Amino acid sequence: MAKEIMRRTASDNEYLHKDFHASMNIGLEFLRKNYGKEGVIDYLKTFTKKYHAPLTEGLKKEGLKVLKDYFQKIYEAEKAPCTIEYEEDCMIVKIDECPALKHLREMNVAPSPYYEYTTLTVYETVCEGTPFAFECVEYDRITGKSILKFYRRDKI
Amino acid sequence: MISCTEFIPAYSELFKYLEQRDGKKKVLEFWETISDEYLKDSLKKCVEEAGIRGCWNYWSRSLNEEAADFTMTLDEENGEFTIVMHACPSKGMLLNLGYMEPYRDYCEHCDVLYRRVLEPLGYEYIFDDSECDQAKCNIKIRKIK
Repeated sequence: MAKEIMRRTASDNEYLHKDFHASMNIGLEFLRKNYGKEGVIDYLKTFTKKYHAPLTEGLKKEGLKVLKDYFQKIYEAEKAPCTIEYEEDCMIVKIDECPALKHLREMNVAPSPYYEYTTLTVYETVCEGTPFAFECVEYDRITGKSILKFYRRDKI
Repeated sequence: MISCTEFIPAYSELFKYLEQRDGKKKVLEFWETISDEYLKDSLKKCVEEAGIRGCWNYWSRSLNEEAADFTMTLDEENGEFTIVMHACPSKGMLLNLGYMEPYRDYCEHCDVLYRRVLEPLGYEYIFDDSECDQAKCNIKIRKIK
């Protein structure tokens, strides 16, 4: 029986491993079971402050445009539609269906009851210390259908 | 949402968070949980159904989806499967981020997760992570005769 060999380089494929959504969900559940809601939120804040530091800095220096580019990039990567109504002082992001929740459903995996904090806590933390605030106008826990609003705090 | 393209930094930071709260034992407990919950319907099922070829089937999907730079070899006659990871996309991403430090023992999760599934199924799992600081490693899985 001959050996089978597969050789691939990074450029042979697109980087999109949707099962990582399931691993993220296991991580959230592990935090919930060990540390409760406080642990889930605390971890998400810690992660966001580090990983999204460039996004927060961008918000301070260049405004909502960096956030618009960010949403376009990740939803394009996830191959999921996302509508953005952009103005310099206010941006509304409309998501018909969260690609992560969709993938969990396809895998028959129950989402963590705190899954929504990957939206609520992450975007709230991204805006901390910037001239902008975040408001979740609508969020459907089953589909992740949501309306997210980012606006300049002094224009309330 | 945390995109699946952002998962690796989130994973690495989760290891750090758990270690900071409860020490390395909590990180190991988490890796065992991931292994039990995620790999039972993927790698474990593949190997139970197809033997050593199940490793080929499992990693054919995951390594291609992760856009890894690798060479995989299946030798069914000798019950052996190897992965030579020339450039791990996960460790590579963490090293390239620059403004974030990867979790110190990041690569160790690959040892814990897969060993936990494969050894009870009768396979030897040999993980060489001596070059993991350059995002390179080797995995050999061998059917115990």
